Formats: sequence, C-alpha cells, structure tokens
Amino acid sequence: MLAARLVRLVATLLAVSFLTFFLVNTLPGDPINALIPPDAQQDQEFVAQLREEYGLNDPFLVRYGSWLGDAINGDLGRSVITDQLVTDEIKHRIPVTAELAVVSIGLALLLAIPLGVTAGYRQGTKIDQSISALAQFLLSIPSFIVGLILIYFLSIRLRWLPATGWTRLTESVTGNIKTVIMPAVSLALTEIAVYTRVVRSDMINTLKETYVLSAKSKGLKDRFILFRHALRPSSLTLTTIVGLNIAGLIGGTVVIEQLFALPGLGKRLLDAIFQRDFIMVQGVTVFMACVYVVINTCVDLFYMVIDPRIRRKS
Amino acid sequence: MSYLLGKRGVVFKLLVVLLAVTAVASACGSDSSSDDAAPAATTAAPAEETATTEAPATTEAPATTATPTTTTEAPPVGPSQGGSASVAIEAEATGLRPWEDTCSSPCYNMMQSVFDPLVSQYADGSYGPNIAKSWVSNDDYTVWTVQLQEGIAFTDGTLVTAQTIVDMFGVQQTGAAAAGVIASSNLIGVEATGEHEVTYTLSATNGPFMSVLSNPPLGFVFNAALVPAGDDDAMAAAANAPTGIGTGPFMVTNRDVDNRTEMERNPNYWRVDNFGTQLPYLDSVSFHPITDEGTRLDSLASGTVTAMQTLRQATIRDARIAAEDGSLWMFEFQGNNSGGGMFNVLVAPYDDVRVRRGLLMASRQEAVIAALGGEGISEPATQVFAKDSPFYSEAVAEAYAGYDFDGAMALLEDYINDADRSDGKAVGEKIDVVLSCPPDPTLIAATEVTQQFWNETGLINTELTHFDQATHINMALGMGNEFRGEHEAHCWRWGSEDDPGGDNSGSSPWETSPFNFSNWYDPDHYALLEEARTMEDIPTRAALYEQAGLIQNAAAPIWFSGGTATAIITAAGLGGFDSWVLVDGEVGIGHPSAVGNWGQAYWAAD
Repeated sequence: MLAARLVRLVATLLAVSFLTFFLVNTLPGDPINALIPPDAQQDQEFVAQLREEYGLNDPFLVRYGSWLGDAINGDLGRSVITDQLVTDEIKHRIPVTAELAVVSIGLALLLAIPLGVTAGYRQGTKIDQSISALAQFLLSIPSFIVGLILIYFLSIRLRWLPATGWTRLTESVTGNIKTVIMPAVSLALTEIAVYTRVVRSDMINTLKETYVLSAKSKGLKDRFILFRHALRPSSLTLTTIVGLNIAGLIGGTVVIEQLFALPGLGKRLLDAIFQRDFIMVQGVTVFMACVYVVINTCVDLFYMVIDPRIRRKS
Repeated sequence: MSYLLGKRGVVFKLLVVLLAVTAVASACGSDSSSDDAAPAATTAAPAEETATTEAPATTEAPATTATPTTTTEAPPVGPSQGGSASVAIEAEATGLRPWEDTCSSPCYNMMQSVFDPLVSQYADGSYGPNIAKSWVSNDDYTVWTVQLQEGIAFTDGTLVTAQTIVDMFGVQQTGAAAAGVIASSNLIGVEATGEHEVTYTLSATNGPFMSVLSNPPLGFVFNAALVPAGDDDAMAAAANAPTGIGTGPFMVTNRDVDNRTEMERNPNYWRVDNFGTQLPYLDSVSFHPITDEGTRLDSLASGTVTAMQTLRQATIRDARIAAEDGSLWMFEFQGNNSGGGMFNVLVAPYDDVRVRRGLLMASRQEAVIAALGGEGISEPATQVFAKDSPFYSEAVAEAYAGYDFDGAMALLEDYINDADRSDGKAVGEKIDVVLSCPPDPTLIAATEVTQQFWNETGLINTELTHFDQATHINMALGMGNEFRGEHEAHCWRWGSEDDPGGDNSGSSPWETSPFNFSNWYDPDHYALLEEARTMEDIPTRAALYEQAGLIQNAAAPIWFSGGTATAIITAAGLGGFDSWVLVDGEVGIGHPSAVGNWGQAYWAAD
C-alpha cells in the first residue's frame, strides 16, 4: 500500500510541476519585462544576454527538464526578480502560513466540535436551530469582512491588537499571539460553520447506531456517550475536511495575508505571478502540491486510527 | 444539570479564555511600532517651512522638473533628537540594490534611507550638491567633471573616493536597473581624474545629465566591493543592504521581507542640519509593506505604525477626514505626475487624429477625477508639467482637447462618414474602442465613466478590459513586436519631477523607443525635445517644451485626467518632510510621490 501511495505521490508532483511550468510559460508577458525597466529593454544585446543567462531562449521541454533535474536535488532555483533562493523564500514564509493555518483550524475545532455535538444531540430543538442559524450566518460572512470588523474594534477602537504585521514566535511569544489572533479568527469563523454542520450531521447518524443505544441502556451519562463513544466515529468526515483545509490554507490565505500584511506563502506566490517570476511560481506551487499530497496521505492514515474497521480492511 | 448546560459552560469558558488571551497579549510585552516612538532630547529648532514637492513617472514626451507642493502640514515646530518612526509603505521592495532592482515610490523610501545620492533636488526642481559638491561640463555637455566631498565613509568605515564611483560603474553596467539608464543618458565612461574628482564621458550631448545622478540606478553611492562580479550569493545578500553598502543616515538591522525592514541610525553619518545638529534626528525607522490601502490607513489610525504613504486620492480623502481631530498630520504633494492614458497610433482607428481628439473632447475630466476619488484634491491636467513647474505653459493648456461634446460629435461623425476611414468599416458604422486599465477599483470606476461619455455620443462602442499591472505594462511595451505594443486605448501615468531632458529620449530613435508607448512620432516635436537636451537654461528650454507641447496636444496621442496627489500621513508630531535641506542649507524638493527624506524626519519638540 505504501509503495502504491509513493508512486501516486510522485506522479502527482510530476503532473503538477509540468502543468505549472506550462501554464506559467503561457502567461502573457515576459520575465524580462519585470526584471529590467523599459529603458534597459532597448539595449537588445543586454536583453539577449539576460535571456541567455536565465535560459529563456531554450525550448520549453529543455527548460522544464533542467528545472526538474535541479529540483530533484533540492535546488528549486533562484528568483529571477529578487535573486533569492526559492527554498529560502519558502523557509522564510512557511512558518507564518503554517501557524496561521494551524491556529485558525485549532480555534475552529475548539468551538465547532462542542457546537456540532450539541446540535446533533439536540436535533430539531431550538438549540439545534440556533446553532444551525449561527453556522449559516458565519458561512455567509467572508473572512476579509470579519477581518475588517476585527481591525475596527480591536485595533482602532480598543487599541488592543496591532492592525497589521507579524511578529515571529522566535522574536516574542506575546507579540506573536497579538499578531496571529485577528487573522486566525477571521479564517476560523467560516471553518467553525463548516465543521459544526459536518459534526452535527455525522453525530445524528452515529447516535442512531446500536452501540450508542446499547450504551444508553447501560445507563451511561449522555456526555460520556457523546464524547467517548459517538464523537470518534462521527469524526471521519471532519478529519477529511480538516486535512483538506490545512493543505488549502497553506496557499489559500492570500486574502487574509494581504489584509493583515502578513509575510505568508500565498502572498509570495501571488506577487510572483504578477511579476512573472516563473521560477518562484514553479517552486512554491510544487511545494504546495507536496504539502497537499503529504497531508492527504496523513489523513488517510489517520482514518485507521479513528476507525478500527478501516484498519482491519487495510 | 443537563449536558447542554454543561456544554454551554464550556463554550462560555472558551470564549472567556480567548478574550483573556487577547487582553493579556495586548497588555504584555512591547510591541515594536508605536511604543518606543517618543522623542528624546530637543535640539535647536529650525522653523518648519512649507516647501515644495512633486512626483515621478514615465512619459513618452519628456517629463518634468521643478514642482509644486500642496502641503497640509504640521505646525511650525522644530525637531527633537531621537525617537523612532514606523512607516507603512504600499509595497515591498524587490530588493535594495540601486543598480539592480527596479524601484518605485515605496522602495525609494527605504533605499534613500540607506544610500546617499550624488546630487539632490532643490525645491524648485533644479539640482544641488550632496556627495558631489560641485560639477562642471564642457561646452557641448559631453564631458562632466564632478568633485566629491571628502571624508564621507560607508557604514563599515570605507572612505568614498573617485575610485568608488568608477567601481560602481563596473557594477552598474551589468545592473538590470542601471544599464538602461547608462544607455539612454549617453554615458560611455567614468574615470577617476583625481582622488575626489570623477569625469563622466558621454557619447552625445546631454545638458541635464546631472539629473540622472540624483536617481538610484546611477546616482546612489554604494560600495561595489561588496558585490564582486559573478558572486550570486553576494548579489542576493546585497538585496538586503548589508552594513557597509551605503553611506546613508540609517543602516538595515533586520530585513524580514514582506513584513518589516528595521533600520538604526548610522552613528557616523556625515550630515548635520543647518544648526550643526547631527543627522539623522530619529534613532530608528522601520518600513512595513501594507498593500491594502484601507488597512494601511487603519494601521496608522490604530497606532500600529506612525506614518504611511499613499499614492491614491481616495485614501487621501479618507485620511483628511481622519485627520480632522488633529491626530494625524498630512503632507500632500501634487507634482507633475498625472493620470490619463494613450492611444496606440499604429492601430486603427487611433491612427486618425479625428478619432483621438474626438474621444478626448467627448469625455469630461472633472467627472473622471471624481470617479478616481480626487474631487477637491486633484486639478485637471493638460500637459506633463504642473502649474508651478517652470516648464508649464498656458498656451499648451489652452491647446488641450478638453470637453466639447459638439466638437467631439463633429470630428467623430466626420470620421464615420469618411469612405476611407482607417478601421475599414462601412460608412456610418460605429467606431469600436477598447479601453484598458488595471483592475484597481478607482481605475475601474474611472474607465466606466469614460465609457459612458464615449458611448453617449452614439457613435462609439466602448469595450472595457482590465489586466493586472504587469500585463498592462507588457501590453503597452510590446517587447515581442518591436515595441509597438498590443494595446489600444490604454490607461497610463504621465510626468515626473525628474528633469525632462535627463535620460529618456536621446539614445535611440524615438519611433522605436520603448518609451514611446503611444508610438506617436512627429519629427518636429522630437527635434524640439532633442534641442532642449543641448542646453541647461530653463527659460529657453521651457520655450522649446512649449512648442513641443503644442504639437503634441494638437495630435492628441495621449490624454490626461487629473494631477496625481500623493501624501505622507503621520501621527501628529512626526514631520520634517517639507523642510529638509541640502548640504548647502537650501530647502530640498520635499516628498514627491510620497517618498520621504527619513534622514531629516523628526518628532516635533514640545
């Protein structure tokens, strides 16, 4: 099974890298435009020299092959715009994006699981309806609107938190907490809504299972039944979604990164696209694809931990 | 108690914990920005003067010079020594290498805090001494001999000599940003003709050559020893401006790209102010790229930063409202830069002057300015020079094809009914126009207003397109089709505070120049521009630019909306952007394009 997964992983990465390379090369414009100002572009000799230096004159497949060869050896190249190593840029930004993703999903789970369990347990009651309405409401608010509201109240009115910027954990723990709260909450609210609905739905089904009825008949307390017997089998869908979310947030927090001026990976990718920095785009995209594939593999493995029946089948 | 009640309690506790963490986090620790921004000791205080300002840009016609300044500013109080500033800028710098990195306004704020230019601009737009203390040219402006100040050192102690400038030239010749400037300014050699004397040799006349020595690619002095040829790692490291690379008022101490760049004062900085006080006044300055205009202003309003820049009129409008309570100071500047657009005259129907003038006359500038958020902030522009530029011409203003609906109808009908109309359509058919602008909300609004005006004639079908900035520029540049471009009617910016003759017309035929974005070429017009490059005298050059402007406005290859207002906005007390001085004590140009001289910014004394 592991070998099959590895083959699939490699095939996925190859496909992603090739498609990215192809798409970036079909974008209108030329990296030389971003690299040098117009007055320098009238010097054809200089332009030709740069094109040669960056391998822009080589055929597409040659360039892709060259990039792939280096990438296999861990060299994702240098940005044609900033001259920085792509791997350095990823290393610089991934802690920000990863922390944001983990904290926001952590916050979302903290609130969504109790809410979802409660709603499922109290299905059809006013409590269930209230929680569902709340979830609907949260789903309908875009995260950047939440961000703007938080900035207004917590930064401008109360002056509790900085409106923008990022303090790294290595610099200051309290500073880090202050800068992560608002972006994380902005992202978390939508996730809370999604997770709550998923947990509620699965919980309703689980509570109909015979082993739950059996536990009830033994006189076990409701809370014990819900969290010890019902929650785990109700978490399969949640696990899948959380896995997809973590991977998605690695590159998908760009709006929030932009709003709160965070030095994350999504923002870097967006800038690279606009700058036609094809080596950076290529490297970051492949990195994100790796994260996606690895996390999904972890999720698959985690299923076996959650549900022994899957483990036995495997 | 039911499970539910128990659960509610847990949720409540979680919320309490979250709020508590927020409160504790906000109470603990010293978070960078505003906490340590207070100034310390006070020094002799020059009265703050309201100086001048302006802004840069790229043009097909040569750009500008001396400029005007609209400054809503601070009370006349003097500087104190110490304190810090945290500055929100609109974008991150690609890098801090003057010779290599293509830079714009936000990046210049950082770069000129680390590097000093050879020459600086006075308030009237002319050029004065900095590291270059004097200069002289031969009669035909092809050889320039420059005397450098003595005793100036890089932050690692290395002295600046004539050889420094020669070594810089070696790096600049292969620099992505500098190589083009070298070509377009006709520079072919730099030689050390004395310990502190440098001779620049040009291949052709260039009267305003010194203007290129005020800008980063050629004019910012750096230590070339830190970027040996072929050393990729050194080049990459130079992008973060390591200690020793510049002579400027600050040194980079931490560069967290896309987050913040922190600088501390250069303890051995060579400049003092007019009262002998050591510069810089501030102990430190940090720059924070915040792309979103709204949150940049929010960051200032919340005290997260103590200053910000903006090049958007809508933000200036909002900031003016926020500043009404006195908590913010605004330093506005309207120079030669203006919004507008151009027609690609190699493409039908824009190859016909009737269409070009007709389109200009069908659109009302004031309405477009309002859509851009500039009502009450920007004035309609008619040329690449602002009213207080020495090159501004009333005659050129009057020749501009302003709003005249009946006149527009007459011209457009004449074209439509012309059996030989250039777009090949049948007589009477509407004209198809494609108007393209980057997808900025205010620009979209402006193009929609323009579309309405054009379509109201009933003679035009206007299609709007929006591409990201890089694509927009690439389409106009047309590198793949000999710089003809792939554009039609295209939003653009015109004018700058740089000398109009400096570096952007001479070295290549104007017909094929990448700077000629509209592809419009008139030999008489071009000859006037070239003649203006052969002299320094401003009134004579102004007369030549007036003639050129008349020809251009008659042909209408480009259009203008309004002057581009820019601003540096600060927490009350942080100023000095209009009053900074050159080494000879004369007031400098101010803060064109929201580029502040942070080396002379200060917290006002109580």
